[in-house]
Amino acid sequence: MVPETLTSVRGKQLPIRGRGDVVVASSLASRLARDFGLAPRRAKELAIVVSELASNIVKHGIRGEIAIVLDAARGEVVVEASDVGPPIRDLPLAMTDGCDDRGPIDPAHFLRRGGLGTGLGAVARLADRVEYREEEGGKTITARFLLR
Amino acid sequence: MDHSEESHVKVTSERLQSVIEALSYASVDEFESCLELLGRSTEKDEFSELETAFAIFVRELGEAKSELNRSLAKQEAVNRELEGKLETIEMQQAAIRELSTPIIEVWAGVLCLPVVGVVDSQRSAEMTETLLETIVAKQARMAIVDITGIDVMDTKTADHFIKMARAVRLLGAECIVSGINPGIAQTLTHIGVDLTGVRTLRSLRDALQLYLRETEQLVVQQHTAFARSSRAPEV
Repeated sequence: MVPETLTSVRGKQLPIRGRGDVVVASSLASRLARDFGLAPRRAKELAIVVSELASNIVKHGIRGEIAIVLDAARGEVVVEASDVGPPIRDLPLAMTDGCDDRGPIDPAHFLRRGGLGTGLGAVARLADRVEYREEEGGKTITARFLLR
Repeated sequence: MDHSEESHVKVTSERLQSVIEALSYASVDEFESCLELLGRSTEKDEFSELETAFAIFVRELGEAKSELNRSLAKQEAVNRELEGKLETIEMQQAAIRELSTPIIEVWAGVLCLPVVGVVDSQRSAEMTETLLETIVAKQARMAIVDITGIDVMDTKTADHFIKMARAVRLLGAECIVSGINPGIAQTLTHIGVDLTGVRTLRSLRDALQLYLRETEQLVVQQHTAFARSSRAPEV
């Protein structure tokens, strides 16, 4: 996948099919976010958010994509992660550190269950605002970063 | 033109022959030659209406056919390109997986895990697992986790990093975290992570020197000026 000239694009949508795409999406996201005017540090935090959301798509979704767009009107860089897959059973629980949407993850099984269970928590901590909505056969998580 | 009751049309065998010939051209997709043949006729009778209708049909057929061929060729080119891209993607993904947790034995019994790029919770969990397994497998005495390339981490991920260092100690090896930058330092102190038992050093070089000093290898190696050069010696 060869990204076009990044500076002229107002946003980018990337399919997330595997672990490699997670890395590609997060590194592209940090560059895009900087182009959109986010401070370098914030851009890196956005990259972490993209990475967490994209790993979640690989782990829990059937297929999905990540969009990084500039919402100039609201002065925000928006990360949108949507996937086709089961909804999150219990959002507040899933956002709790050390838990997935079924409950606490046994630390011995961090890797087998696919991570630390702090992904959504990190998204909530790093983004300015997080929204979640369910659609027919899928879901979208939106993380917003304010351009200050 | 005489429309007789018997409605018979007289056609020279030459015209008939040329229509038959045209038909055979059409059957092998030679639409140009077919149309050329049909266009020769200058007569205006009922048979010529048939010829005209035939010509229109052949022309349309020819256009449809070439359109179909064009899109088939295009589709094939797209498919080939897509296959090539998919192959590239698979190769890159494999490379990325391999590169995401490179553990290098920089010295006998000393492992180094250089961390670059974006560290999320998933990667942090994988690094822990890989590092701990490699320490056991290589019977390493020290693990240096170098995070020079990282300046932002989520608090929980940073916390997990420190826990990884503790887990290394439990395995009887020592873990040094090197290259902590100001941002991470703030994150760690901000969340009040207990740093006792975790050694942190400014650089990978410092970490290696510390190891050598502690194992008194430095004394032995001093003559060769190993420690002062930044070149990594071969193991």
